Amino acid sequence: MNSCAESLTMPRSVLATTSQLKVSGLAKRFDGCSQSVFSDVNFTISTGQSVALIGANGAGKSTLLRCCARLIEPDAGSIILDGEALSSKSGSELRKARNRVGFVFQKHCLVPRLSALTNVLHGNLAHRSGPRNWLQGFARQEDRGRAMDCLNQVGMAHVADKRCDQLSGGQAQRVAIARALMQDPKMLFADEPTASLDPQSGDDIMELFSSLVKVRGLTLFFVSHHIEHALNYSDRILGLQERQLLLDTPSQSESLPSLRAFYA
Amino acid sequence: MLERGGETVTSAHKANLSVIGDQMPVRFERPSWLSNILCALFLLFLLWSMSSAGLSLSDLLEGLPNMATIAGEMVPPATDRAGPMANAILVTFQMALVGTVIGILISIPVAMLMARNTSPHPIVRHVARSVVSFFRTVPDLAWALFFVASVGLGAFAGTLTIIIDTIGFCARFFAESMEEVDPGPSEALASIGASPIDRIVVVLLPSAMPSFINTSLFSLEKAVRSSVVLGLVGAGGIGAELAVSMEMFRYDQAATIVIMIFVLVFAVEQFSSVIRNRLLRQNV
Ligand SMILES: Nc1ncnc2c1ncn2[C@@H]1O[C@H](COP(=O)(O)OP(=O)(O)OP(=O)(O)O)[C@@H](O)[C@H]1O
Ligand SMILES: [Mg+2]
Repeated sequence: MNSCAESLTMPRSVLATTSQLKVSGLAKRFDGCSQSVFSDVNFTISTGQSVALIGANGAGKSTLLRCCARLIEPDAGSIILDGEALSSKSGSELRKARNRVGFVFQKHCLVPRLSALTNVLHGNLAHRSGPRNWLQGFARQEDRGRAMDCLNQVGMAHVADKRCDQLSGGQAQRVAIARALMQDPKMLFADEPTASLDPQSGDDIMELFSSLVKVRGLTLFFVSHHIEHALNYSDRILGLQERQLLLDTPSQSESLPSLRAFYA
Repeated sequence: MLERGGETVTSAHKANLSVIGDQMPVRFERPSWLSNILCALFLLFLLWSMSSAGLSLSDLLEGLPNMATIAGEMVPPATDRAGPMANAILVTFQMALVGTVIGILISIPVAMLMARNTSPHPIVRHVARSVVSFFRTVPDLAWALFFVASVGLGAFAGTLTIIIDTIGFCARFFAESMEEVDPGPSEALASIGASPIDRIVVVLLPSAMPSFINTSLFSLEKAVRSSVVLGLVGAGGIGAELAVSMEMFRYDQAATIVIMIFVLVFAVEQFSSVIRNRLLRQNV
């Protein structure tokens, strides 16, 4: 409450640098469903924070994440992303607001018939449109280099020229993460980014994310069913349960058993 | 011990079943009385149609000697007009090729107006769909007659017919294959603010490409077959030669033409299956 009152009196520019995402009164019900997925969800994520979202299957985590960028249209509530109200935007304004926001989805969402390198290059489409970012063959030399570097960071440089429908699930997920790195976003939404990765790779990716948070000041909002990841790689943990945001605590004050109890 | 264990398992199983019993889907849906009546009506209509279609064993038997005579006159095939015929078959193929290529080029933007996930507006979509289905439902011979009447006898009328035919066929299947593309990757790029044009080029076109290629090659095969007949109504190509030979009872010439047609169609089908396999394996 206190911090909310403070932020209201602060000038806009300061607000923009301190809160990366501010969600208030968010509600969503899918057409044809009797119950809402969630309602009256309020939270703020500060710039440079890493926040984990937990909850049982079907609790609405993916839906909440998508609503934050209006990939799914929420029924009510306001979203302030990077100091700009997202709720009132449409068309090209909305697109512009999304430029600095990266997404890693639960399903990797790569274009199956294109190569890994081309898919990574597509991260650039957030900032520049046109043929030079359509296919790796058309790309600028520096962009190709950067795309290879992103692939390398997720350990996938050796599949650069492989078609994405020939990658394993985990490899594809890592390429999708490389695409998000290519975009170089200010804020990254990641929906179970490590779900299809083996334990070691999962830890590696979370380490990579957390170093981006520390070094580049990335803001991270990730969903995980991996309680250790939520505990070790976040500053704060949010929990969805019974159509409400029932948990919002600093990670230090939680432990494995206390979080496990949240699912019960 | 064992027996008791078995018993408890079964009763637990039963209790469980009664809980989920009303959620259990039925094995088969019973056909409704309405669908039974419709089936019966269809059978009656089929019987009536058989009589209207003039199915007649006696006519077939009486025709058999004629067929044998004509077939006999077809061998050996005549080679006296082989030169002009070869030329005509080449023109036939060229009409088909040019018509198909132009038709495909027009079909791509038209399909984008038609597909649910690319159309700028539902009204545009419905108009485009109606126009294309009109192109498709009017038979090609009717289009050919129309174009012969408006632009005159010859290959141009035939090419226009092929274009219309190709749009009617390709635009529809292009649109359908674009609608079937998994929306995930496109949504992923939308989530980072990529423009609609970028998303169409980068996600939709490559994902629908195998199906585009298949449809295009199939439509070329179809165009070759239909361009053979277009000459019968004066829209250019080998069909005119065939009509003349038949009218003059030169069945040996007709045989040459049929062989040429067979070779052309066969070659195009072979070619298209080779291309299909090549292109679909490519990396981008
Ligand atoms: N497009 C949709 N239409 C209707 N209902 C939907 C749709 N998408 C999700 N739902 C429902 O909304 C609820 C929340 O789904 P969501 O995908 O957000 O769950 P989740 O918390 O991400 O689960 P998981 O841990 O399995 O990924 C579920 O009950 C789901 O059935
Ligand atoms: Mg989910």
